[in-house]
Order: sequence, then C-alpha cells, then structure tokens
Amino acid sequence: MSGKPPRVHADASDESLLDVRNLTTWFNSAAGPVRAVTEVSLDVRPGEFFALVGESGSGKSALARSLLRLHPPRMLARHTGEVRFEGRDLESLDESAMQEVRGRRIGLVLQDPTSALNPVLTIETQIGLVLRRHTTLGRRERRARIVEALDGVGIPDAARRMGDYPGQLSGGMRQRVVIAAALICDPVLLIADEPTTALDVTIQASILQLIDDLRRQLRLGVLFITHDLGVVAEHADRVAVMYAGRIVERGTVEGVFANPVMPYTRALLDSVPQRALAAGHRHLASIPGRPPGLTGPEATACAFLPRCPDAIGVCAHRRPVLTEVIDGREAACHLAFAEREPNAS
Amino acid sequence: MTASPDGTDGGVDSVLDARGLVVRFKTRRGTVEAVGGIDLTIAPTEVLGLVGESGCGKSTTGRAIAQLVRPTEGSVRLDGVELAGLRGTELRRARARMPIVFQDPRGSMNPRRRVVDVVAEPLRVRGVPVAERRAAAEVMLEEVGIDLGAVRRYPHEFSGGQAQRVAIARALVSSPRVVICDEPVSALDVSIQAQIVNLLVRLREQRGLAMLFISHDLSVVQLLSDRVAVMYLGKICEIGPARAVFERSAHHYTHTLVSSVPVADPRLRRPQTRMVRGEMPSPLNPPSGCRFRTRCPAATSICANENPQFSVVGDDHVVACHHPRGSGA
Repeated sequence: MSGKPPRVHADASDESLLDVRNLTTWFNSAAGPVRAVTEVSLDVRPGEFFALVGESGSGKSALARSLLRLHPPRMLARHTGEVRFEGRDLESLDESAMQEVRGRRIGLVLQDPTSALNPVLTIETQIGLVLRRHTTLGRRERRARIVEALDGVGIPDAARRMGDYPGQLSGGMRQRVVIAAALICDPVLLIADEPTTALDVTIQASILQLIDDLRRQLRLGVLFITHDLGVVAEHADRVAVMYAGRIVERGTVEGVFANPVMPYTRALLDSVPQRALAAGHRHLASIPGRPPGLTGPEATACAFLPRCPDAIGVCAHRRPVLTEVIDGREAACHLAFAEREPNAS
Repeated sequence: MTASPDGTDGGVDSVLDARGLVVRFKTRRGTVEAVGGIDLTIAPTEVLGLVGESGCGKSTTGRAIAQLVRPTEGSVRLDGVELAGLRGTELRRARARMPIVFQDPRGSMNPRRRVVDVVAEPLRVRGVPVAERRAAAEVMLEEVGIDLGAVRRYPHEFSGGQAQRVAIARALVSSPRVVICDEPVSALDVSIQAQIVNLLVRLREQRGLAMLFISHDLSVVQLLSDRVAVMYLGKICEIGPARAVFERSAHHYTHTLVSSVPVADPRLRRPQTRMVRGEMPSPLNPPSGCRFRTRCPAATSICANENPQFSVVGDDHVVACHHPRGSGA
C-alpha cells in the first residue's frame, strides 16, 4: 500500500470561492425566533473539500439553504451577514441573477431528493431544462451530456433510464439523479447536504470518487454537510463542527481528528463505532443530555456547558468566541486558553 | 469441501434455527424472490449480525423469521418449536417470545397509549393482570434509562433515542431469549446512537440475550455481534466470526462492502477507494449460479453454471464462492 493520501490540497494563496462573514439566520416560530444559524463565518477555496459536521438541529442544513437564499423571506426573523461568491456579494443579486448562480456556478444537492425533482417530468426533460437555461447546447448534445452525467453517478443503462419519471426510480437512484443534475453544468462550487447519507456504501464510495475527480480536474470546491465522520476523515481537507447554530471548532481534518480542542468535538469523535473498534473497546463514549433548544434569548454561558465534562468556572459566565488556538486551528472553548495561559481569564 | 451453511450442526443447541427459508412476493412485473433459501442458526446468548445493502433481503429475512411475513418455504424453529404452522393465539404468543425492534420505533406504537401500556402490551397477550404488567413495564423502562416520571407520557412526546429505548423495553418485558433488531440505530445521531448501542451491549451481557442484529452499518454490527452473515440478492454469501468476516473476508462481495466504508481516521486515508462494478441486478431476474458473478472481479464460467456451495475457510467461517479470496483458487 502506497499510503500516500489522495490530497487535493487547496492552495492557501487562492482567493476563496465562497466567503461567508457573520451569517445569522433566525426563523419565525410560535415560540419566538429560532436561532438556527448565528454569526457563522467560513470560506471554501477552489479544489477544496470543506466539511461541516454536526448533529440534527445544529444548524448545518439551515446554513446551506441560507447561503443560496432558499428560505422564503416570511420565514426569516433575522437574516444578516455577508455571502461572497467569486468576489460578488450574493445578497445584492436580484432573483434572476441568483438563479444564474444557482445551478450553473453553484451545484446544490439537498437532503431530500424527492422534493428536488418534478414528478411529472422525465429525468431527461428535467436535466435538459437545466442545460437549456445555462448552455447553448443543441438537443443531441444535451442528450449525450445527460447520459454521460448519469453514467458518472453510477446509473446503469443511463440512455434508457433517462426516459423514466422520478417515481419509477428508487430513492438511491433519485438522489444520484439530483447529484448528476447539480454537476452537469460544471459548477465551480458544490454545496451538498448529506448527499450520500441515504445511499449504500458502495454507491457512496463511487459518488465521492467522482467528486474527488472533479476537484482534481476542474478545481471544484465542495461544501459538504454531513454527520458521517468517516466520509470527513477520508475526503475532507478542512472541517468545521457546528453546535447550537454556531461553529465551535475548525481546522484541518488531520489536526481536528488527532487533537480535538473542544470537548464536544472530542465526544463526537469518541462516539464513532469504528474508532472504538480500532481502539479495541466495545463501549462507545456518548454525550449525556441533549442539545439546547434554540428559541428564547441566547444564554451568556457556553451552549455546551450542561453536557460538558470539563467545564470550568468561566464557562458559565461568558460565551467563548471562536479564536485561533494554534496553527490555524480555531475553537470556541475557554479550556483551550485555560490550559495554555492559566491567567488569561 | 462442503459444510453446513452456517458451520453448525443444524441447531441442536440453538434458540433460533431457520432452514431453507424462502420468501417470494408476487408483483405486477413477476415473482420476486426476496429471500432465496437461507439457513441461519443462533445459539443461546449469541448475537448474529446480518449485513448487506438495500434490497438484499435482510429485513425480509428478519420479518420472515418473526413470522410477520409468512415464509413461502422453509422452517423456523424457536426453542425447537416449529413456527410455520402456528395460527391465532399460538402465533401471537410465539411472536411475543421473539420480539422485533424496528428502525422507526414510533411506527409500531399505538400513539394513543401511554408508554407504560405500550411496554406492557406483550404481557397482556400472555394474560398477565393489569397491575402486575404495569409494574413489570415500569421496572423495564427504568432498566433502559427512562425516568419513572415519564412513563405516563405518550410516544410522540419522546425524542427518537428515547422512543427507541421504549421499544427496547417493550421487546424485553416478557424476558425473551432472542430479539430481532432491524436497523435499530440507523436513524439516530451519532451521540444518541452511541447511547443505544451501549444499552444493547449492556442488556445482552446482563440478560444473556440472543439477537439477530440486522444493519447496513458494518461497524455497529462488528461492535455488537459474535458472528456475522453477509447477504447479497437474497442469498447468504459468507458467515463467520465478526472479526474474521470483516478483516479476512473470503467472499469478493464482503471485501467490496468492507472496503467501501470510509475509514474514520485521516491518517489511514487510502489512495483510492475500491469500486464495485455495476449495480445490484433485479431480484426479478437474478443471475444464474453465483448471484454476485456479474460484478465479481474473480468470476469465471463455473460461477455462471453452478451454485457455489459453502466451504470452510477458517474456524466457524464459511463462504459460498467458487474462488474465495486468499485461497489462491
């Protein structure tokens, strides 16, 4: 075994493809605003696989949707911050310019494949519509392109299957159609929310391989939202961990996996069955309690405090801010500084 | 060299013994053989993992063993008693002795009943008086980590992880010797999944419980199981001790499956993931001979012409393959 990892390292000197500053997205609800995403900043570089991990309700899916302004305005209680894509401020674009960006420059795969497909159009017709809007290809060229794209995501007998309606395909097959549609215009950025979670591992492996190939060949940048830490370990360059709507730790995959700073990150890693097996024990670390609710005013304490095994005095008084700890690693945790500079707080 | 399909002597000491199990469904496009004649044996206190991808028939196998789907052919014996001919009350009692825990716990609970009564239900079937069965249900709920203050709530008031605890309590309240778990942790977040896996590990140790543990998650299966059976297109292709099956896979399909799982350690990043060719064929029209041959890197003409029989490749480890890995054949 060569042991050489297939890194597609993004060049740090590259200008970011996607640059998000202080994004906050809160939703209206009967119980007051739901703080889904709060003050999130992140960037994705060309060719980079950036993974965003967290559990249900951590805000990772809401973040993906709000980047592309997919939430109807009436749902939003608060929506502030800046989203720059290829240097342009997406917030300033009108809806038609935004549609030009979505689908062509940015491919999008959301969690539920059924809602992304129109049930009364064949696969060929719907992917064909994307190509008609964004390219000048003729009918025959479009057909060839669609067959190639469906082939690429492992749909057998693509030339025949493209005549099917979504209802004739299995869930896994539909998800692959959505992925093919997201990639068909050669986007420079792919935003994917749990795109392979519902798929069998053998299919997942081939789709991730396809994405890695596109990163290498076309410098496709990827914002990949997942709870599967195996996929993160095997494919991502950098990873950010979300908890209660905020990013609580970020760094290179090697760094975060080898030496997590935030106790939540550590607990998340320890609860992965594969890591327990590798370490030779049968007991999985689990996190007591549940994530906090996101309605009502945000506590001044750290959101993880009630579940944190290592909390110290300051954690109850001040919410930690995401701060560089060491060598490009950032964490929102008082412990990071308590250990390094005992007098800091 | 051939062996009994699961490497045992035919289930003399087994709690659960399925022989020649076949399940066929009639559909508009023809007859689908979801389970194509399989043998499985579970010894007392043993956990047998059953893994495979969507459509391989693993869930149907679980349901057929529990008699929720009546097998088309074959026998299922629970503690030596044949279930195939049972009807009515006898059948309901047999099912209560071999409960099944599903992926969606709330789907199998009456939403209008308090969880204490949901958990007590299997005892009602056995004719236990109401006060007694409620008391037993409360003890069981406490054992799986549900607060006594919550037992009078309704299923929808529980989170996914808590509801799965309730489902496990219901499965165990009548002290069965064997439980069938069908993807019990697949819908849960990792930290909650860890809590439920730990609970199952503790319960099996404390109660000497035997289990058929059906899952697509190989790591969870390896963590919980003594032995593992791998299923592909309605057939078992390999059975053996969990570690041997995953670390020294003899069947090419097992190997493909194991190497497709991403490794949760960036230091072990592999140069390129091994890819399987093509798609699982339609169960309406399975390939002749070995069902994996159309995608197998080692297939030859014999694979199309002859059904592979089980052969021994290690201690208690058998494979149904004409050219098993590591054999040089």
